[in-house]
Formats: sequence, structure tokens, C-alpha cells
Amino acid sequence: MAAPKSSTPLLKDELDIVIPTIRNLDFLEMWRPFFQPYHLIIVQDGDPSKTIKVPDGFDYELYNRNDINKILGPKANCISFKDSACRCFGYMVSKKKYIFTIDDDCFVAKDPTGKEINALEQHIKNLLSPSTPFFFNTLYDPYRDGTDFVRGYPFSLREGVPTAVSHGLWLNIPDYDAPTQLVKPLERNTRFVDAVMTIPKGTLFPMCGMNLAFNRELIGPAMYFGLMGDGQPIGRYDDMWAGWCIKVICDHLGLGVKTGLPYIWHSKASNPFVNLKKEYKGIYWQEELIPFFQSVALPKDCTTVQKCYMELSKQVKAKLGKVDDYFNKLADAMVTWIEAWDELNPSGAAAGAPKVSAK
Amino acid sequence: MSQVIIKDDEVDIVIGALQSDLTSFMEAWRPMFSRFHLIIVKDPDLKEELKVPGGFNLNLYTKSDMDKVVDSSSSTISFSGYSCRYFGYLMSRKKYIISIDDDCIPAKDSKGELIDAVAQHITNLTTPATPFFFNTLYDPFSEGTDFVRGYPFSLRSGVECGLSCGLWLNLADYDAPTQALKPSARNSRYVDAVLTVPARTMLPLSGINIAFNNELVGPTLLPAFRLAKEGKFRWETVEDIWTGMCAKVVCDHLRLGVKSGLPYVWRQERGNAVESLKKEWEGVQLMEEVVPFFQSVRLSEAAVTAEDCIAEIAASVKEQLGRSNPMFARAAENMVEWIKLWKQVRSL
Repeated sequence: MAAPKSSTPLLKDELDIVIPTIRNLDFLEMWRPFFQPYHLIIVQDGDPSKTIKVPDGFDYELYNRNDINKILGPKANCISFKDSACRCFGYMVSKKKYIFTIDDDCFVAKDPTGKEINALEQHIKNLLSPSTPFFFNTLYDPYRDGTDFVRGYPFSLREGVPTAVSHGLWLNIPDYDAPTQLVKPLERNTRFVDAVMTIPKGTLFPMCGMNLAFNRELIGPAMYFGLMGDGQPIGRYDDMWAGWCIKVICDHLGLGVKTGLPYIWHSKASNPFVNLKKEYKGIYWQEELIPFFQSVALPKDCTTVQKCYMELSKQVKAKLGKVDDYFNKLADAMVTWIEAWDELNPSGAAAGAPKVSAK
Repeated sequence: MSQVIIKDDEVDIVIGALQSDLTSFMEAWRPMFSRFHLIIVKDPDLKEELKVPGGFNLNLYTKSDMDKVVDSSSSTISFSGYSCRYFGYLMSRKKYIISIDDDCIPAKDSKGELIDAVAQHITNLTTPATPFFFNTLYDPFSEGTDFVRGYPFSLRSGVECGLSCGLWLNLADYDAPTQALKPSARNSRYVDAVLTVPARTMLPLSGINIAFNNELVGPTLLPAFRLAKEGKFRWETVEDIWTGMCAKVVCDHLRLGVKSGLPYVWRQERGNAVESLKKEWEGVQLMEEVVPFFQSVRLSEAAVTAEDCIAEIAASVKEQLGRSNPMFARAAENMVEWIKLWKQVRSL
């Protein structure tokens, strides 16, 4: 049973907020009370000659495409262009332990009492408390105030495991695929589900990058958002690809992935016809990808995230290369990403070496 | 999702009576129960006459009915205490069964309206479940929501739901140590969601507020594992936990879904957790041993019905767990006997 915390640590020197943008950062004004203590990493997509104004008072670093090319050299080809997948460059250059990433069309939501939700604070709570992937707690996250493990929950599993990822949700415009958007253009998510829960081991989920936080030390190198956008045959599968990879690796390393609170208010509905074009191939490829990820087995000697990820890239090439040549390129990009990550983060200690040993 | 049409004659509401005066319980549930047929089963240990208000379509079963069906001299199956409801399951011929503990009354939702737990359970059971991939917006078949981007299209028709596990406001279903350490802890959080518990993930089934598809999984809800000093408070039992793990294995194998979440019921104050803590805990410790077993047990392709599955689980329990402790061997025997009884009663 977790003792309730009187206040959540700010982690202001341990967390970076990574924001991809191609338009502007006006949305930051609304988030100012919650975000101002933190360092921002802005990844500017699209035309590097355009100036993106950051509202006054924020401490930030900004990278455009020229900066990415300069820093990574030939390895820059693993970072997507003209797609928010480029945000993962921000994860790579960060020097902090935790990352929170949010889209520039996401605003502060209100809970049912009308109170504004500090999404970042909730993500921090999620990340700093354990996860419970081995047995489902019917009262959801047992470490939250006002709840606990239910009768019948094995006592031997009540310590939980470290939480690597906190996946938040969205009120208003829901994150639907293009076909669903076309069929239900007016549907809005108005249901506030007051729960956080661990996604069980062995179960995959569709990860959305709009409102996401993670422990960079535990899982950072696996948060590669793939090859999307300009020159690529697919889009809107960046966060999903990362989500399947991190889930398989978290399951292997005994780390937890939580989903649920916090909610943000998603304001902009993207064009479903444009989305359909981007997603089209993915809709078919997905049917091959899911069985692949569901049956991935990582060898016991993959004890770090980098090793797991390199092994995964080999299996992607071997098993998905025949689905489309895109996956051969993606597998190569995964390797490039890890090489770039290790170059920019040469601490020597590989990420994701938790106290709990791999299964 | 359009309104689910329920044929009233497809539902049995089975109530295990552990208290003799059911008047306030039945009156509280009257608006939700009165359409349906009820089966009330009296705890064979209860000495007093049952008091049940009129105006319900119900069958009442007592110890004498149980003795006609189960020969207590040769059987180790016990219907004592919370297990009395299983006799009701044995007797029911309906497609859907809903069971609620007799110390629970309707709860109110976040808008202050009384929750029709029966209707919600039936909705859960008659809409598909999605055990093979987690939908981050929870039950995609609920009103106002859907599958999220990235949910595989081939998995969107879902599978049939075998079991619906509801929750409780006020007194939550905590074990005795937890409740004893937090005596004033009450569950006041209304989580407006139903979700499918993923395949191959175990959960603690609480018998307080459940419903199931009797045609698909009926024989799985069985009385098999009892603590030596099982009592009349939920935190003095683990029988539903054992049954729940069997049921999850069966549902996973038969590709049926198990849902958890809504509906909530309001659970009234009863009992003293500290007093319960003083009792023997051998059985609870034993339950820790069974978790790895249930997480890894696999059934053969030949097991295509719930009865087949239970028979295989019982054989595995006997072989793998029975050797270390006679309580497990007895549980396995009870399971085998239950299947025989089940078939026998239905062939009459």
C-alpha cells in the first residue's frame, strides 16, 4: 500500500518537454502556469528558414532541419521530415531523465468539477509510482490516492515494477483513424474516465504521441518514431510503431506502461481525406505488423534497451522486409537511430538496466 | 450503440441469501429486478426463516433442495456461505445470470442517478469484447466512443463476452489486511468505463457483483476451493478468486471476453476487518502458489466447451498442485464432480 504523497515533486531539473511544431507555439500561453518551470525542446519541422516564435519567459532550445542535419550528419536520414515524428530528435538530444511530449494543438482540459488539469503533474505521478503488468487490478492503479489492491491480488506482486511510459488521453477531438473520422466526423470524446491503469504484459496497444511521458533512462532509445512524412509511403503510424516497439521491450525487461489520466483538450481535427492517404498503406501493413509484434521473442542476453532494439531491427528486416521494402529501410533507420543515440548519449551506462532482471 | 433489447425470459438473477431478512435488499433493487425471474438460494447454515417481500417472480432453494441433488455424505462440494449461489447457477436454465451480494444496494452514478446494474451487465454481455488488443478508449462499443487510431481492423468485430465483472462503491472489495490497515478507506471514485481484460492476463474475480453467459461459460462458475475457516464476510473467503482464475483460463482458451468496470453497486458496511485478521491465513497463503499455475496452464485443442476446459484444468490442478497440498487435490475433485452434477441436472 503506497503512502499518499502530500505533493508531487516538480522534477523541474529532471524533465524536458519536447514539442514538435510547424506552425506556431501559441498554445503554450495556456500551459504557462504548468510548463514554465521546465526546459522546452522545440523541434521545428518543415521550412527551416521560417522563424517560430517562442512565447517570452520560457527556457528552451530549438532545432530546425538544418540543426538536425548538422548535428547528426548522414545519420539525420533516420529523422522524419514533414511529420511530427521528427519529435524523437528531441528525445535524443535531451539530457534529462524524463520526457513529456505534447502536440501544439493540445490545450488544458478541465475535469468534471471544472478544475483545470495539470497534465504534467499527473504524468509525473504516473511515472514515479510503480506499474502492475502481471495481474490486472480491477480498481485500476492501486498506488493512486483513494484506492488499493483488491482482494485476491497476489501479495507477491504488490511491489510492482518501474514505470517506463505514461500514456495520456484526450477530450474533445478523439484520436480516430481516417475511416472512423469519415464515418463519425462529429463524434467528440466527452467521457472523463477517472482512472490510470497498467497495460498488462503481453498485450499491445495503439500508442498516441499527443500526450505522452516516459522515463528516458529506462526506455528512451526505444522511442524512435520511425520513417514518416516526406518521401515516405506512410504517415500517422509513427507513434504506433514506437508504441509496439516499446511495449515489447518493456514486457521483456519487466517495465510498466500506464494509460489513462491525464486528459488534455485536443482542439484540432485533421483532415480525414489527407489522413486516409497517409494511413492507407498502414491499414493493410498493420495486419502483418500486429502478428509480428505479438510473437516477437527477444533473447535473454538482450538486457539493455539498445540491445533489445537492435535485435528488434534484425527481426523487422528478416520478417517484415518481404511485406514491403519500406521495412528494410525502416530496419536500417532503427539501427542508425541507436547509433546516433549512443553517440549523443555516451555516458557508457546503457539505458534500461532495471533491478528486476529480464524474464 | 443502439439500445440493447433484452428478452426478460433470458435472464436469471441469482441471489445467495446470507442474511435472513432480504426485505430492504429486495425493495432497493425492485425497480431493476422486478422484470426478471429470480433464484434465491438460502445459505444452508442460516437457521432463521427467510423473509422475502412479495411481487417478485422467484424460486427459492434451501438446504433440503440441495440435499436432493447433491449427496452430502459422499460429496465434498459445499454450498455453505457465499457458495450457496452456485446451487442457483446449477438450477438455472437461462442464458444470462446476474449475481449480486445481499449486502449491496443500487449505487448512484456521477450525475446522482440510480444505476441499473442489471441493464449494464446485460449490455456488457451482449456487446463484443476485445481481448486481443488494448483499446485506450476502453469499451469501443459504448455510446460516444470507438476504436482508436492504430487498432487493427481485423480485430474490430471482437469476440463474445463470457463474463462481466462489476465494481463497488463505499466498501471496496479489499482483503482483510488492507481494510484493517485503512479502516476508513472507502471507494468513492466512480470510473466511467468498461474494458475487456486482455487475453492471458489474470484478474481477481470478485463475486460481489458479476454476470455471465450461462450458455457459454456456465459450468465454469463453480464451488471448488474453500479456506478451512471460510467465513461469512467476503474478506474471509477466496472461493471466487479461485473460480475467477479458472473462468479466465476458460474464456481465454475459448476466445471469449471478460469485461471489468461498470456497473457499480453500493456495498454496505458490514464486519470488522481486524477481527477477521485473527483467523487462520493458511488458505490465503496457498493462493499465492496457484498464481504461476493459472498464468501458465494451457488447454488442449480438444477442449471446445466450458465442461471440457474445466475437466482439463482439474486434471492439471490435481497433477501439478494436488501433490503439494490436499486442499488443491480436493478442489480438483470438486471441479470434476461439479461437471458431473452439471450434466446430470441438465439431462433430467
